[in-house]
This record gives sequence, C-alpha cells and structure tokens, in this order.
Amino acid sequence: MYVIKNALKCISRAKGRSVLIGIIALVIATSACLGLSIRQAAENAKQTTLESMSVTAQISFDRQSVMQNLQPPQENEDGKNGFDRDKFSEIMGGTSALSLEEYEKYAKADTVYDFYYTQTAYFNGSDNLEAVTDETEEDDDNTQNQMPGGFGGFQMPDRGGMKGGMMSGLSADGDFTVIGYSSDSAMSDFVNNTSSITSGTVFKEGTETLDCIISEELATFNSISVGDSITVTNSANDDETYNLLVVGIYTSTENNDFTMSMFGSNQDPANKIYMSANALQKIIDASEDINTDDESSPIKASLSATYSFADVDSYYQFEEDVRSLGLDDSYTVSSADLTSFENSLTPLNTLSSMAGWFLLVILIIGAVILVVLNIFNVRERKYEIGVLTAMGMKKGKVALQFVCEILVITMIAVIIGAGIGAVSSVPVTNALLENQTQSQSESIQQLENNFGRPGNMNGSGLQTPPDMPQNDGGGFGGKIEQMFSGASDYITEVDSAMNLTVVFQMLLIGLGLTLVASGVSVMFVMRYDPLKIFANRD
Amino acid sequence: MGILTLNNVCFSYGKNPVLKDISYDFEVGKMYCVTGKSGAGKTTLLSLLSGLAQPTDGSILYDEKDIKKIDKYNFRSKYIGVIFQSYNLLTKFTALENVVLSMDIAGVKEINKKQKAKDLLLSVGLNEDEANRPILQLSGGQQQRVAIARALSYNPDIILADEPTGNLDRETENDIMNIFRQLSDQGKCVILVSHSPAVAELCDEIYELSKI
Repeated sequence: MYVIKNALKCISRAKGRSVLIGIIALVIATSACLGLSIRQAAENAKQTTLESMSVTAQISFDRQSVMQNLQPPQENEDGKNGFDRDKFSEIMGGTSALSLEEYEKYAKADTVYDFYYTQTAYFNGSDNLEAVTDETEEDDDNTQNQMPGGFGGFQMPDRGGMKGGMMSGLSADGDFTVIGYSSDSAMSDFVNNTSSITSGTVFKEGTETLDCIISEELATFNSISVGDSITVTNSANDDETYNLLVVGIYTSTENNDFTMSMFGSNQDPANKIYMSANALQKIIDASEDINTDDESSPIKASLSATYSFADVDSYYQFEEDVRSLGLDDSYTVSSADLTSFENSLTPLNTLSSMAGWFLLVILIIGAVILVVLNIFNVRERKYEIGVLTAMGMKKGKVALQFVCEILVITMIAVIIGAGIGAVSSVPVTNALLENQTQSQSESIQQLENNFGRPGNMNGSGLQTPPDMPQNDGGGFGGKIEQMFSGASDYITEVDSAMNLTVVFQMLLIGLGLTLVASGVSVMFVMRYDPLKIFANRD
Repeated sequence: MGILTLNNVCFSYGKNPVLKDISYDFEVGKMYCVTGKSGAGKTTLLSLLSGLAQPTDGSILYDEKDIKKIDKYNFRSKYIGVIFQSYNLLTKFTALENVVLSMDIAGVKEINKKQKAKDLLLSVGLNEDEANRPILQLSGGQQQRVAIARALSYNPDIILADEPTGNLDRETENDIMNIFRQLSDQGKCVILVSHSPAVAELCDEIYELSKI
C-alpha cells in the first residue's frame, strides 16, 4: 500500500517529469484512440449494414471456372497456353440452364427465407402497341445493326446469372421485354420504391390470367388506359399474337436518362411489360404448342431465380446446402447484394487499413520515446533508488513503485486520450472518409474518362437493365466493370466510432505501454547497488 | 556474546585488501567509536555491519545468526538503523515523510505513524514546522537529526552512524552526541564511525582500525 502512496507522492512532487511523460502518453493514447475508433467504425458500419440488409443470391454457371479447368498447367511449345477450345465448346453446348424444378429444389434448403423467380421473353408490338422510341425509321435500321449485331451477336445475359451468356436460343429480338414475376416480392422495383402504380393495380400474384402492367410512357405513347387490351406478337412469327389486359400503369424513377440510340427498344425501361410468371408461362406453353415443327420459333423465356436470406450467415450456409443437394461444381452461388456491399466498404476498409498502420507506427514510436524517457528518469533517480534500498526497501518493491508511477500517468493519459478520441473520432473519421471517398470517386471518374465512357456506363460499355442483376465479371466487362460499379454507394459517414471494445483496447494499450516503459525501470532498479550509488555520489 | 559479532572479517576491493581478520563484539547498552586514519576502512566496516556489503571472508553475527542468512532488506529495515555521513534522505520528501516512509518499509504496526514520526522529530530537536519542510530546506544539522529520527523510527537494536558530527558546529555536535548517549542508556548498541577524538572520548569503547 505504501508503495502506491509513495508512487503518487513521487508523481506529484516531480511535476515536470510526470507532465512530460504524461504528454507523450497522451499523444500516443489520443492517436491510438483515433486509430482504434476508425477501425471500430469500419467494423460497426459493416456489422450494422450486414444486420439490416437482406441478402439475395443467384445460382449461375461459372464459365471462368470451366475455362480455368481446361487451361493446361504449362505452356506448350508455341509458347501458348494451349486452351482447348473444342472441349470448351463441347462443355458449353452440353450445359443447359437450370430448370425451374432445379431452382425450386435448392429453395428447399433450410437457410432460404424466400424464393422467387422471373421469366423474361421478348415480343414485338402490333397495330395497337408500338414501342416507345425517339428514332425515325431510318435510324431504327441502324439501331438494328448496332444492337445486337453491332456487338457481334451479343445477347443480354441470362437473368439467372448465366455468366457465359448461355441463352439457350433466347434472342433479344423484339420490341418489348415481357417479364413474368412469380410473386410480389420478385418485383424488386416496386419493393424498393423505384416504381409505383399510378393507375389501376398490379396483376394478382400467381395468376394465369393474361393481365399486365405497363409504363406510363408506353401508355401515353400508345394512348392506352387501364382496362384496354394490348396485343403482342412472337417476334419470329407475326401471326402468333397474344392479347394482354392492361390492369395497371406504373411509373419508375430509374433510368429516365436511358439512351435509345445505343440499345434496342426492348432495353428501354418504358418498353417493359410486367405480368405474372404463370401467365407468361401460359403464353410460352401455347407458343410451343403452335410452333411444333423444326423451322418455327416458339417464344422462349430466360429464367432468373432469386433466393432471399435473413442474414449473411444463412447465405454462406446456403452455398454449402446447395452442394449437398447436388448442385454441380460448374455452377456458382453469388450475391450481387454482397458484392455491392463490399464495394460500398472500399473507402472505409482502406481508411481502416491505413488507421491500423498508423496505430502500429504510433505505438512503436511512442513506446521507443517512453522507453528513452524512462531510461533518463531512472538514471536521474538513481540516488533515490539507492536510499530506498539502503533503508531496506526490497528492489522488487522499488521497481513496483516505478511501475505504479508509469501506470498511473499512462492511465490518466489513456482516460484523457479516450475522452478526446470519443469527442473527435466521429468527425475525424467522417472527414477522412469523405476524403477517401472523394479520392476513390475521382480515380474511378478518371478511369471512366480514360475509357471515354460517360458516368452512367458500366465497364462493359452496356447499360445494365434495371431489373437485371449485375454481371459480376464472368462475361464481358469483367474487372473494369467491377471497378466502375458502386461508386456512388460508398459508406460515407459513420455514426459512432468509440465503444466499449475501443475502451478495452485502449486499456490494453495503456497496460502494454506501461509494461514496455517500466520494463526498463525494473531492469535498472534490479541492477543498481546502493553502496555503489552512494560511493559514486560521494 | 554481543548483539553484533565480527569473526575474522576480511574485506577487499578487488585485489586490494581493506580489512583483515577483524574480530569484535558489540554489546547493547554501550556506545562504540570506530576510529582510524583516512582509508583505514571505517566506512567499509560500517557498510559490512549494516549489511550493505558482504565480507569476503569471515562472518558477522547478529544475535548469534550469520547476517548472510538473514534477509538483508529485513535486516536493514528492522534490526539496524544507519545514519549515513551524507544523511541519504529523500530530498523530494519532507522530514516527516522520510520518517514515516522508514516506518512503512519496516512494517511498523503503528496506527498513527505521522504522530509517532512527529514525536521522534521533536525528540531530536525538530519542531512541527521544520518537520513539514522538504529536506532541502533544512540545514545540515537538521538533516542529521532527521536521519537520526529515521534510524530510530522502527526501534532497532543497533544504531550505526558514519561521521555523525563531521559537518556540525560544536553546539549541534553536543546535542547529537547527547542523543546517542541517551540511546545507549536506553539499551541500544550505538556504533559511531569517526576520526574525531572528541567523539571518541564520549564513547564507552573505542576500536581503532589501522591501515593494512
């Protein structure tokens, strides 16, 4: 007890020395607090977002994996890697998109919270339904050349996330995109408040009746009202027509800046017609019944299934579940939500990483300064050590007194540093994060400029339709697309940075610094001999 | 058998012998003066007696126990009180704090250590105001008194003093010697190291060291 009392007396009697050590410890503590707070803020933001976000996932064909498997480990004599194109074509040709039954089988996994799917088919209009367009007929011919032919026969990626563009004969020909939704929850635009009904109502969930909803622009362009019928035709057979009843008209806030000149009219959000998946399936079945011979082209639809999960852990578990349910290795489970989420964390993660290094450097420099200060301190107090040990105070207790002194000073510095950190960590983190986000955005903007692409383009040079999941690198575009994606969705602000974890870490740092600094004191105290000290002094 | 016994004690600094075959008995209730010329090894003998140094040969017995076998810190803090020539007080502390700390180190179970320390300081001639002054604000004689009070604070059997009057005026020297006389009369073994004939005259026994 008297050791602590003595330590406190020594601190108060040697104010200059205590203040000097205290200032150094305070600088370290404040810097450490900021560094830890930034790291904690990143973790908090990640956790908070993860907890509040519902994760959706798709199962898609993993073309990259197939290509990698076909790649020989060494280059051949020509110096080329000897990729087996024939084998690749054979595999791709023999691989079919997953059927609805297969998707539904995987939906039975316990981790799946919700399952829904959409079917997409392309139709032409009719006398009472013309696609919204801003082109003249001459322009239209050019557009036909550009899209899809201009991209070398490009077809829109499969809605099920077929990375290799396995479209199974589905063509993007047709003026209209008709999307069939299996349930209300599949209508992400409406769920996410980017689209809403302005007149009428949405078709009944799961209905087989040929009810549909159309965009306000399409309705205005063709003078269509709720209750009117519209006729769509098989793009390969003008005689094959289907009458749809317009039960609702919707407006969308997305893609009002759609550039018509580069895309087919069926990619214009205004030319999308929404209906029940069952109703669309009824049309597809009917078309198949009509077009039975080899030369005819029945209407085909691409299938996109989405699995919804309550949390991220369930998503990761789902990946294992589907493998045990028999999903082939050539398919992959991916989540655009998670990819987008990870993109949004880029500045924060960068900042967190920088804060980690900053913390390390501060701790090392701080520890060195404290050690040096303590060496001077102990040498200056050599006489005091001699007197105390000559009085019969054990060296261990003398060392303990020195440790207590440093501990008290360090802990006071840690408390003040934590206080300063608590007040300043959020604004400092946000200021740094803003700089980081700005720098990130500027570099992406610069990259876009280098590629000569406007800001709303992704890396493929094609605008991804709003209801399509992002292509995540397996098809065209690849990494450039990833670089460009999510630039505007970064986490740019944190609400809180300090918490009990940071306080606990600060205490650990305080204890660590005390141990390092006082270790020197202990070493010197144990080495000193009172007789020698007095002899030298005399 | 005395309280402190030297048995053929030898000591050397490296290859230079300082003390050789010293045997002597120090008894309680007596005041001793260890005297000799400069370099005769007076202070070295005091260091050996106080346990700050160990004899290179021979043994020192405290109450018939070899002090090598007694915990040296315990020995210094409880059984022997040392008054150094340069006092060796904690300069950042007050006179009172120096005495209280000494009691703390010795593990004195006094409820009111401060009061006991004040009484001790008063008994060696320091008033309350002087007792509460930092050491550096006290004169040499006052510091000497504080060192004596500190040595007495845990009531040791033996008091060792190195040149206790070396820096003092005649009047203060008399005061200090009176204190030592009182202590020996109270049953303490007082060992003074001094080359002053005046001090030696006041002691019961004189042990003269000669240079080797």
